[in-house]
Amino acid sequence: MTDGNERLLPIANVGRIMKRIIPPGAKISKEAKETMQECVSEFICFVTAEASDRCLKENRKTVNGDDICWALTSLGFDNYSDTMLTFLNRWRDTRPTPTPTPTNKTT
Amino acid sequence: MRQPGAYSNLLSGGKTGPHSLPLARIKKIMKKSGEDVKMISGEAPIVFSKACELFIEELTKRAWAMTLQRKTRTMHKEDVAAAVMETDIFDFLVGLVSHTPNPSAPLES
Repeated sequence: MTDGNERLLPIANVGRIMKRIIPPGAKISKEAKETMQECVSEFICFVTAEASDRCLKENRKTVNGDDICWALTSLGFDNYSDTMLTFLNRWRDTRPTPTPTPTNKTT
Repeated sequence: MRQPGAYSNLLSGGKTGPHSLPLARIKKIMKKSGEDVKMISGEAPIVFSKACELFIEELTKRAWAMTLQRKTRTMHKEDVAAAVMETDIFDFLVGLVSHTPNPSAPLES
């Protein structure tokens, strides 16, 4: 059986995030999780297409984190965009800076 | 010196592991969004993992409000669909959620 679910995020991960929101003891049907999986994939495609469009207009080939943040604002997800920009800048700050390779000096 | 808390806290407030959602899968889905999407930077799926968390949380909150209106404790797909219909920024999902009929909807005479 081919894994057609490669177009969806894993139901366990999606369900875990959903459970954070609902009170203890409340339940989520499998179909609700499956619907959420479909919605998230559609969200990714929707935002990526917008980001990719911007890259095309600016003659760039690579979709980067700033393009995703811009696309979120463009599509009405302003409240995510501020969080994402902060997140992106902090993530960039945590990346190790490459150490410069020593040059061989001849004397 | 290893700082295991810095990165995971950055991504998910320390509640789960480094990523709540698999980056490779996110990247695959991004590539399927269009033929123009060829190159994706390493940070883009990481940004999306956070954005998707926020999206799932928001849609779940709204769907749960629908569940409470029905006075039950189990969220069904109809609650997710109703939340989509009620929220303007989720208009792009209307076709997706209205694809399946709602068997519990009352019939109007």
